[in-house]
Amino acid sequence: MGKVIVITSGKGGVGKSTSVANIGTALAMLGKSVVVVDADIGLRNLDIIMGLESRVVYNSMDVIDGSCELEKALVTDRRVENLKLLAASQRNNKTDVQPEQMKDVCLKLRETHDYVLIDSPAGIEQGFENASSAAEAALIVTTPDVSAVRDADRIIGLLQAKEVSDLQLIINRFAPNMVKKGDMLNQYDVLDVLSIKLIGIVPEDPSIVGSSNRGLPLIYDATSEAAAAYKRIARRLDGQDVPVPEFKATGWFSNMFGKLFGLD
Amino acid sequence: MLQRLIRFLRREEPSSKIASNRLKLILVQDRLGVNEEVMKDLQQEITQVLSRYFTLDKNQVEIDLQREDQAMALVANIPIRGMKGRD
Repeated sequence: MGKVIVITSGKGGVGKSTSVANIGTALAMLGKSVVVVDADIGLRNLDIIMGLESRVVYNSMDVIDGSCELEKALVTDRRVENLKLLAASQRNNKTDVQPEQMKDVCLKLRETHDYVLIDSPAGIEQGFENASSAAEAALIVTTPDVSAVRDADRIIGLLQAKEVSDLQLIINRFAPNMVKKGDMLNQYDVLDVLSIKLIGIVPEDPSIVGSSNRGLPLIYDATSEAAAAYKRIARRLDGQDVPVPEFKATGWFSNMFGKLFGLD
Repeated sequence: MLQRLIRFLRREEPSSKIASNRLKLILVQDRLGVNEEVMKDLQQEITQVLSRYFTLDKNQVEIDLQREDQAMALVANIPIRGMKGRD
């Protein structure tokens, strides 16, 4: 019996789908059987981030209305075979699915997989209700800015009201240089107000754009600090004790060195 | 470096500090479900009650929610001109 985890944020554009794709892939690379579920019905994009859009034939809507078997609707990843995707329908609305139906699908997936990761849509309406209906744990993604943290706080409140008590925070797009200059909230500011456990900090990484252009999750980039951060998050999620490193601002010397030699 | 020096010379607060303070206040209000209208009503009613006992400068009354460590506090600043003669 596996675990159903919803990845959510309230605010859009903070990196939910990217986090699902990378943590899902990292868990699969650890040997776990993983299904990632795109719960953003009507606006599907997890398949694109994972480079699986051409393989999607069926989606969760087909499973719910009984026109396709659950197993048959799962798309196998191109690189890791114990990683599957259940795509969202592009033609339906969020209100076409009821939380109970989504819950049934996720609980069935849980029987045969170690991890069911659900990519929640932004917002606090029905899409979020559906995505969190079967969740026993949640990863809340935020960026270090006032509006994202405020929305994260609201989502935490809503999840607690649903009695999802295993809540952990991902701080995404963290920029140590900006923190050092005093232009960005640091992790302590964020943790101080949100008062849930931190599962990881993902540093800002421009190569994320190229990664979604290619449809290849960042995790495969061996030089990326963000990829390393996602790998650590996957191991923590899997119960390993991996410390969160201090992200240090690069000094003027290494900045200049980097610029001179194109290493930056 | 230069930015920080300029900021120091101008005695400007870093924006992260401002963000942190705004965030704390916003979350306090969100969690309590208090909006500006409620605060206005509260201020009016408190002023009304106090006016029965004191002469107040009604324009100077300030009532605000503030966060102090882990707890919330309702902080009021009410300048009093004098006692009201009660019958």
